[in-house]
Amino acid sequence: MKNRIKVYRAMHDLTQEGLANELGVTRQTILAIEKGKYDPSLELAFKIARFFGVTIEDIFLYGDTAKRP
Amino acid sequence: MRRNTFYLLAGIVALAEVGIFWLSVEVEEPILIQVAFILGVLLIYMARRRVDERIEDERTAMITQKAALRTLEIFWVVFFAISLGSAVVAFSRPLGLRPPHPGPPGTAAPDVLELPFVGSFALFQMALLCLMIFLYVGFRMYYARKYGDWDIDEEQD
Repeated sequence: MKNRIKVYRAMHDLTQEGLANELGVTRQTILAIEKGKYDPSLELAFKIARFFGVTIEDIFLYGDTAKRP
Repeated sequence: MRRNTFYLLAGIVALAEVGIFWLSVEVEEPILIQVAFILGVLLIYMARRRVDERIEDERTAMITQKAALRTLEIFWVVFFAISLGSAVVAFSRPLGLRPPHPGPPGTAAPDVLELPFVGSFALFQMALLCLMIFLYVGFRMYYARKYGDWDIDEEQD
């Protein structure tokens, strides 16, 4: 599953450490999600989306939607 | 407490445990290492709660769960197989101490399983428990690598 966390992080001028602290997870978890090595739980996905003020679909691209430009 | 301080403390406790184990053998007091081991574990648990930085979250919990499950899956088969062998040896002969006299004249002493031999099973099972720790660490490293624990990126120092 692809995601656009890095983009939203850049838009909000946040470091991985900063976002991790806001969400209550480790920095390595943010890094693993960004690199696509770990798919977050539904709860964490909602937390991320709410933190950036967008929907989950705006951040996480599942299956065919990931291929869209 | 910082995370690195916690890891340093855990290392010191582990070294102290090894030293106390040696001391316990020297003075022939098993209670020494038993109490020290429990105190060491309690100390590490208490120190972990005082770490300011977050060291656990849902990803680390998942890594721990997967590693523990894989370890258990392998370990119980090995442990059970070896314990079965031990049970066969134990039940194949009468278990107990040799009688104080060899029996009636002209008869051989009964073939019993010597108790020290039974004690060696305990040592063997303890060795297996040590193997379990290595197995767990191996799986932990494998899943940590798989789920990006050791990845680095441009933000890392």
